[in-house]
Amino acid sequence: MRNISSLLGKLAKTMSVGMMLLFAVTMSNAQDVKEGQTLFKSKCTTCHSVTKKVVGPALAGMTERHDEEWLVKWIKNSQAMIAAGDPTAVQLFEENNNLVMTAFTDLSDDQIKNIIAYVKDEEAKAAEAPAGGGAEAGAAQSDDANTFMIIGLIAIVVLAVVVIVVLNRVIRTLEKVIANNQAAIEAAQARNETVAENRFAKFAQAFVKNKKLVGFSVLMLVAFLAVAGWNTLWNVGVHQGYEPVQPIKFSHQIHAGVNQIECQYCHGGAFKSKNASIPSANVCMNCHNTVTASEHYDGELSPEIAKIYRAVDYNPDTRAYGNNPKPIQWVRIHNLPDFAYFNHSQHVTVAGVECQTCHGPVETMEEVYQYSPLTMKWCIDCHRTTEVNTDNAYYDQLIEAHEKLKKGEKMTAAMIGGLECGKCHY
Amino acid sequence: MDSNKKYWKGLEELQQTPAFVEKSKGEFAEPIPVEDVLNEAGLSTKTPRRDFLKALGFGLGAVTLAACNRTPVHKAVPYVIKPEEVTPGIPNYYASSFNGQSVLIRTREGRPILVEANPNAVGLVQGTESATVSSVLDLYDMTNKLQNPQIAGKDVEWSKLDTTVKQALVKASNSGKQITLVSRTINSPSTLQAIAKFKESFPNTNLVQFDAISYSGIRKANEQSFGRAVIPAYNFENALVVLSVGADFLGTWLDGEEHTQDYIKNRNYKSLEGGKMSRHIQFESGMSMTGTNADVRIAVKPSEEGAVLVSLYNEVTGSSLPGALTGNQRAATAIKLAAQELLKNRGKAVVVAGANNVDAQILANAINVAIGAYGTVIDLDNFSKKYQGSEDAFATFLADANAGRVGVAMFLNSNPLYDYADTKVVKDALSKVDFTLSFADRADETASELKAIAPTSNYLESWGDESSREGYYTIVQPTINPVFNTRQAEQSLLVWSGNIINIFDFVKNVWETQILAGSAKKWKDVLQTGFEYKGKLTANAYTFTGNVQGAATNLQAYAKTLAGEGFELSLYESAAIRDGRFANNAFLQELPDPVSKVTWDNYVALNPKDIEALGLGENSVVTVEGNNYSVELPVLAQPGQALGSASVAVGYGRTKVGKAGNNVGVNAYPFATVKNGVTQTAAKVKISKVSRTYELAQTQTHHTIEGRNIIRETTFAKYLKNPASESGRFADSHKSYDLWNKFESPGHKWVMAVDLNACTGCGACIVACNIENNIPVVGRDEVRRRREMHWLRIDRYYTIEEDGVDYTKEDDIANLNDFQNVKVVHQPMMCQHCDHAPCETVCPVLATVHSSEGLNHMAYNRCFGTRYCANNCPYKVRRFNWFNYWNDSRFDNYLNNEFTQLVLNPDVTTRSRGVMEKCSMCIQRIQAGKLQAKIEGRPLKDGDIKLACSGVCSANAMIFGDANDPNSEVSKALRSERIYYVLEEINVQPNIGYMTKVRNSFEA
Repeated sequence: MRNISSLLGKLAKTMSVGMMLLFAVTMSNAQDVKEGQTLFKSKCTTCHSVTKKVVGPALAGMTERHDEEWLVKWIKNSQAMIAAGDPTAVQLFEENNNLVMTAFTDLSDDQIKNIIAYVKDEEAKAAEAPAGGGAEAGAAQSDDANTFMIIGLIAIVVLAVVVIVVLNRVIRTLEKVIANNQAAIEAAQARNETVAENRFAKFAQAFVKNKKLVGFSVLMLVAFLAVAGWNTLWNVGVHQGYEPVQPIKFSHQIHAGVNQIECQYCHGGAFKSKNASIPSANVCMNCHNTVTASEHYDGELSPEIAKIYRAVDYNPDTRAYGNNPKPIQWVRIHNLPDFAYFNHSQHVTVAGVECQTCHGPVETMEEVYQYSPLTMKWCIDCHRTTEVNTDNAYYDQLIEAHEKLKKGEKMTAAMIGGLECGKCHY
Repeated sequence: MDSNKKYWKGLEELQQTPAFVEKSKGEFAEPIPVEDVLNEAGLSTKTPRRDFLKALGFGLGAVTLAACNRTPVHKAVPYVIKPEEVTPGIPNYYASSFNGQSVLIRTREGRPILVEANPNAVGLVQGTESATVSSVLDLYDMTNKLQNPQIAGKDVEWSKLDTTVKQALVKASNSGKQITLVSRTINSPSTLQAIAKFKESFPNTNLVQFDAISYSGIRKANEQSFGRAVIPAYNFENALVVLSVGADFLGTWLDGEEHTQDYIKNRNYKSLEGGKMSRHIQFESGMSMTGTNADVRIAVKPSEEGAVLVSLYNEVTGSSLPGALTGNQRAATAIKLAAQELLKNRGKAVVVAGANNVDAQILANAINVAIGAYGTVIDLDNFSKKYQGSEDAFATFLADANAGRVGVAMFLNSNPLYDYADTKVVKDALSKVDFTLSFADRADETASELKAIAPTSNYLESWGDESSREGYYTIVQPTINPVFNTRQAEQSLLVWSGNIINIFDFVKNVWETQILAGSAKKWKDVLQTGFEYKGKLTANAYTFTGNVQGAATNLQAYAKTLAGEGFELSLYESAAIRDGRFANNAFLQELPDPVSKVTWDNYVALNPKDIEALGLGENSVVTVEGNNYSVELPVLAQPGQALGSASVAVGYGRTKVGKAGNNVGVNAYPFATVKNGVTQTAAKVKISKVSRTYELAQTQTHHTIEGRNIIRETTFAKYLKNPASESGRFADSHKSYDLWNKFESPGHKWVMAVDLNACTGCGACIVACNIENNIPVVGRDEVRRRREMHWLRIDRYYTIEEDGVDYTKEDDIANLNDFQNVKVVHQPMMCQHCDHAPCETVCPVLATVHSSEGLNHMAYNRCFGTRYCANNCPYKVRRFNWFNYWNDSRFDNYLNNEFTQLVLNPDVTTRSRGVMEKCSMCIQRIQAGKLQAKIEGRPLKDGDIKLACSGVCSANAMIFGDANDPNSEVSKALRSERIYYVLEEINVQPNIGYMTKVRNSFEA
């Protein structure tokens, strides 16, 4: 115990020292950097990163390549500079495939300078990181973390050894006790067994003699098997809970849950077509062009996102698409038989059914599974209870429907023919 | 009042042949072998106990094992980069054109699945023909098409072919030899431009246009008559009297669909309600589809056709040309009456002659001048550009080739080694050409004999255009990338002549600089609408300069060559497979002929009396001999056929078209002769019996009407007095009682009205229905077993009328002199969606039930095939799947083929073996139409939903809609006095109303 508290004390000390050191380094232009960071994140990250080429070039070292005044002018309105024929500007423009950079005329010179300061600062950090123990602040912190981990490990090993020793002693003591009382224990065991045997035999004899009981038991067994068999048979072809392994570990929990992306952003077909449609890889690329999740992979591209890149034959370094795309072969989870016609738009757009009603809490699913049984009973149960969305002018034609509504009655899908064979089978 | 006129479907029914009576007793052609099992021998067979147990054990084990397969894992593979315009599950439509007809192509997920008429082109040339509708299947005819260019029968790269062809072209050019491109009529501005470009590089190129079915006689006659070598446009909507001499103008003659559209405007229910109906008089030898629609039809022999025109000319103009008709009293009377009619309706009457004969056409022109048809009905200025072939040009080419003056011969859409009258001449000529090439998509009869094949792409894979009539231009745009390594012919011509331009840019350029010059429309507008119509040119006045006297003399001489001993044979174009181009299209092969209802074969049609005289009977085969050619053909007894005449369809007997079309029927082209640069399709032949028999696969006698009164027919005069005349409505005269409760249809009630006066019987609806609803093709043998799967059939009923008397009793009919004077009624028959459907009450598993929208639903996966419903259906419209047509090697040539299956409509289930099916009233379209309205949040409008059959009907004979909407077109149509319901008296309450057939006959 003492050990741990002293350890924590030590850690706190080193950390505060580290923080102070860090502060000291960044002190000189602290205010600027902070504002610069906010501005950078809101204005620049769509196309730029400090260390890597995104849409625009990596920004590290830009202050060495260009002077600050030039940079301010460039960021404010690069196209004007190109139009004016600034040779550096033209060269830069051409080097980057003539990609037009958005003009930021609303930024003041100071703001831009803040951004530049932030970039410089980030640049310095990036330079320190790979250098290892060279620089103070970052290194100190990581060193501390390392020592803490090593100390912790040693402590655990020591503790484990202690536990083993103690347990060994206990075992030895117990063995001694057993050896001393061996005879007494055996006698007691023998007694217990004969009693149990007698009891069981008696019970069995009584059971066999009682024909009614035997009959009843057999009946129960048959009934149990029948019910179990019946249920099994009913579930033949029902794949509720089906959760196949997908070629890409795509998480709806991250996309629909954490990031709150609308279902229809990817599954647009659900609103206008029979098929909800799995998004084509180019839809993934809308975001994953820049979202590489590298923060979780030590600055490397996420292996799952790399699969998208492979599918569209995209090279993240050159930012170019090749000619050899390979479609992603997802495993279909929701399989309706061919003789059942289902149209998403009828349910989503017309009836206003939530996606979750049939597909379950997709936004919490790491991997998607079949939530509903997708049996005809399940369809029909819903049609029996779901009220028709009569705001739609289409239903004005249904004369009877009007009359029912006037009387204040509910109108379910079943009442307007939602249970008829030909509505789904043709 | 019920009519007691007798109708019959075929001669077997009329004569009640023993075989027919026997067959008509059972519901199905082949009885279930119950007797074989339950007879004494069957029952006394012993099964040893151990065998029984073995079989039982094996059966149980096998079933268990078979059931133990894992649920298959389905892959879902999205696009890598989804094209913006594609939403999986929603069809895309592209405007294109086929045969000069403007069409819309429906594609799903990038594959074309349906060809529909372009609704924007109403009144213009629209794609409503059976061949057009079924053309989508030709795209998927992959097993028979070439996948690569070929030299001497071996696949090569395009670069290799290009080098070879260029060398040959340069060699021909340098040696001063001709380069000839032989083609079917080209009316495509961009193709012509490509040929012009080609000609710039190779000035010694000439284009020879040659059509298998030639209309050069009309062009020549018009040149002699008016100085314009064109085929005029016939505007039948302006004609109140139509007289046709051997012209099947509603079917195969010129633009049948366009003619139908116009012709029916003076005969459909709207026209009748306005108290107007045209009169149609037809003189012809074989019973054509147009003949079946005529008010008055007179059977004449091919040799008499000329005489009919001469007599008519004499009657109309009061002159006395030689060679007038003699010896045919009925025809003579009809001509007299017709002449009066024509003169009475001066300016509103027309005479059309079908023969490709300059003299006959000159006489027809002369009569038309006399009755003032020019400028009103016949339009020489807005002429048709569909047939510009010239036998003269082709003959010159053959002569040049024989003389060794042709260096390169190329064939585009042309197959003379099959369809030229004398193939030997062509073969000899081609052997003297240095280099020969075909652009055919398959190694057909001609292409397989040539040195190289540069396979052209299907029209659904190509850019191009067409101009089927003056001032009307249609675009051809691709709907899919070329599936195989093919290249469209225009592109090949451009490549070979060193023009480095993509065909898309080329076509676009032609449109922008030529067709759209001076128009407000842009290229993109055309891609959307599909056509550009410049409007009608004002008609010029023409003076007739034809030599009538000479024509009459020539006709007389020509008639002499046909008349005499033996039979007069006339060749005709089959309504389905036309000149033979579509022979490998299984949908068309199985489309019953509009008149004879024969599928999968051609035959000799003879008058039943002639058949009797020749000692022939059912399934007889004869040798037809004439013109140094002889073939064996099955015989068909055709009521209405002129005595002493025979008719045979061309387009059959192809040998290298593909698995479905090879050796179906026999080739009749060699009976034709080319005389004075015009192909004559009549010949004198000898017909003699052959000992073997052959059964034609006919659909006509598959059901019997048991003498029930299901056709109601009246005359125009009676109609004018009482519009409800002869409609015999049961409800008017009887009180009805019901076992069932009334069926409520609170939302929509889908119904249909069929105008029997508008239906010409063409059968385009059948093909459209087949493609829309994934109806399988079953092949000849299965049709013979009465197992055709068509949900919609067009029943053709004959009735006899002689000397103005309708014969009603069987005895009378048996005593008739001949079978020349029959009348025909076509009746489209499909599921009637009865409110009190007899099929529904007998289904033990409730697989067929009624919907609140008035439809009779069929849940295929509930059905387990008792066929009780078919047994109990009074209309015999239910079809049973005897096989898994989509997955059975016996149907490899049709639909069990991985490529042809791509034509399937993904919205309709394919049915499995042992399941009953029938017309669903295109429920998938109804559901889609409703959904569209719901998504847009608006009430459903009349006309939002079009059925496959009604959408393709150029005559608008089928009117579909919601009966609960009192203002819908169908509600209005169903209020017509002419409406009757078939078998109304059995109170099944059908939802399809028929309008009485009205005939505008003389006798009235």
